[in-house]
Amino acid sequence: MSNLPKPILFALLGTVVVALIPPVLIVRMRTTKHSLPRIHWIQDMDNQGRFRAQHANPMFADGRAMRQPVAGTVARGELRADTHYNHGVVAQAWATTFPRQTRVTPDLLARGQERFVIYCTPCHGASGYGDGLVNQRALAVMGDPTRSKGTSWVEPKSIHDSDILAQPVGQLFNTITNGVRTMGSYESRINVHDRWAIIAYIRELQKREASASADTRGVDRADRKRVGEPDNQNEARQS
Amino acid sequence: MRTPNEIDGPLETPVRFVFPQWSNALLPAVIVMMLVAPIYAALVLTYGLSPVTHNVGYMPTQPIPFSHKIHAGELGLDCRYCHNTVEDAAKAAIPPTQTCMTCHAQVQTQSEALKPLWESYSEGTAIRWQRVHDLPDFVYFNHSAHVERGVGCASCHGRIDQMDVVFQSESLSMGWCLECHRDPEPNLRPLDQVTNLAFDPLVDQSAEARRGLLEGLRITPSEGCSTCHR
Ligand code: HEC
Ligand code: HEC
Ligand code: HEC
Ligand code: HEC
Ligand code: HEC
Ligand code: HEC
Repeated sequence: MSNLPKPILFALLGTVVVALIPPVLIVRMRTTKHSLPRIHWIQDMDNQGRFRAQHANPMFADGRAMRQPVAGTVARGELRADTHYNHGVVAQAWATTFPRQTRVTPDLLARGQERFVIYCTPCHGASGYGDGLVNQRALAVMGDPTRSKGTSWVEPKSIHDSDILAQPVGQLFNTITNGVRTMGSYESRINVHDRWAIIAYIRELQKREASASADTRGVDRADRKRVGEPDNQNEARQS
Repeated sequence: MRTPNEIDGPLETPVRFVFPQWSNALLPAVIVMMLVAPIYAALVLTYGLSPVTHNVGYMPTQPIPFSHKIHAGELGLDCRYCHNTVEDAAKAAIPPTQTCMTCHAQVQTQSEALKPLWESYSEGTAIRWQRVHDLPDFVYFNHSAHVERGVGCASCHGRIDQMDVVFQSESLSMGWCLECHRDPEPNLRPLDQVTNLAFDPLVDQSAEARRGLLEGLRITPSEGCSTCHR
């Protein structure tokens, strides 16, 4: 090999080096993250000239492809004339009963529990004492001057406080729909049926908790909490 | 007297090309190349054009350094707290600014990282999140058809709850879709574990349980072209 003329030797070495480039690129692509979008070798109809949900549209001033309803209009099916079902209000006062569309059945309670775990446990905790993971983290962040960055966290209320126990279901409905003081609104995320299901479940939690604490008066709160706990989903996720 | 030879000069013999001595050394090199080249070409083409190479690991930079590891992992938020349409609709909506504000109206309000969030909130503009997963527009995909049938987020998106920045963890190629549609059983999980990314359908439940799901829910994903191309 060593007696090869220089140009031939270089050509050979060059070929080997060039041949190594694609494998190296492939290995790099497969082992690292990249911020360049995928290459469409053949465009076909991969990117069509239509706007999809949540896409940007430069034609409108706000840049949104999804348009908001014109102010003052009501879409079909959105009239919500039934104030009991849609607002928790009967004759200008908070409803004290569930609307006729909502039957409190085991199915409804199961649905309510599932939704409560998704939307309420992060702050209010699995049994509603206001000790959810977000509350713990937010308090920790607020107490740490380097991480606080303007945090002003108000602790979520316990749903077992006497003033909440005394609230009519319509008022609870309004709390979920419109939020209250520092708690945000859940109207856009939880539909009306599910809001009533959550309230049915809250009532169940309150009842369970009241009877449990009547049995175990004097036991400290941390122990009692376990009684009303619906399931360990939150803890399971952490492991 | 001259012989004819002497008159015309010596008979011209044709010039023969003689390989130089060093070319002997090339022979093995050529043989090796002829053997290696087809294998090399096959490997480079298969891996170079594979959707796994091109699509997996795509991680665009987002306008806000939002971390699923903090929010979905450490804070334990359920995916549906933010992606609330995932059970009912084809699209898993990216949450609006309002959803972030349920906490960030109080939490870390002065944070530099959250500046774009406040801008969006006060001006009513949309945050321009960069799309990570993006099928070609001629493919029809539906989240609710999967999530309501026991296919978990983790099967298609990986461990989002451990990612600081979301990246694509599966190729989303047609072959990948079909692989599962032909044999969904290893990916099925109880409906209440769909958003629990730590649940492993192969480890955390028995084969009978998976078969029970397959038969109980009568899961028969279609391979017909019009399922996904409509
Ligand atoms: C992001 C955290 C957070 C989530 C999630 C949350 N809440 Fe709250 N909630 C709060 C805070 C904070 C308060 C106390 C507000 C205050 O006193 O300023 C509160 C108060 C309440 C109250 C008492 C209202 C009153 O009249 O005093 C009720 C009832 C309630 N929440 C129910 C719910 C329900 C039901 C859900 C689930 C749909 C839910 N919350 C989800 C943070 C949260
Ligand atoms: C606090 C709200 C929040 C929660 C909880 C949340 N996400 Fe997200 N998710 C977002 C936001 C905001 C984006 C867009 C920015 C990004 O891509 O990081 C996003 C993006 C994504 C994307 C990429 C979308 C794309 O562009 O292709 C996936 C996949 C995803 N989330 C899955 C999940 C899963 C699975 C869970 C449950 C473990 C989850 N998310 C929980 C807010 C959330
Ligand atoms: C349920 C409450 C909650 C929701 C909803 C929420 N966050 Fe957070 N977020 C937190 C908490 C608590 C922290 C602080 C974590 C820590 O530093 O320990 C945080 C931290 C952050 C940080 C890091 C800030 C910094 O300066 O380090 C960013 C960025 C962020 N969130 C963005 C978002 C975005 C964008 C959304 C909406 C898609 C969102 N968050 C929704 C609770 C929430
Ligand atoms: C069967 C596979 C599969 C499952 C299961 C799945 N996804 Fe997706 N997801 C996709 C694909 C494919 C896309 C890209 C869709 C597109 O480009 O149209 C996507 C896109 C997304 C997006 C971006 C917005 C959108 O819809 O285009 C979010 C957010 C998301 N998924 C969240 C989730 C969450 C949360 C879950 C679990 C509850 C989940 N996904 C379960 C395959 C899946
Ligand atoms: C991990 C398994 C898995 C993967 C990956 C997967 N699917 Fe599916 N798919 C299913 C299951 C299970 C069903 C539900 C079948 C049933 O309901 O009987 C389904 C149903 C569907 C349906 C609805 C069919 C109908 O009858 O309405 C569509 C559309 C679909 N899948 C498209 C896709 C596309 C496109 C991809 C790839 C981007 C994909 N799927 C990837 C498991 C999967
Ligand atoms: C489970 C869903 C699914 C089914 C069923 C399906 N496809 Fe596809 N197909 C896809 C996806 C996803 C892509 C896009 C792959 C990519 O480029 O990322 C695709 C892409 C294609 C392409 C374009 C390839 C390219 O790169 O340009 C063709 C052609 C195609 N499919 C034909 C078919 C035919 C024919 C059938 C029926 C035998 C079929 N598909 C059934 C999901 C499906």
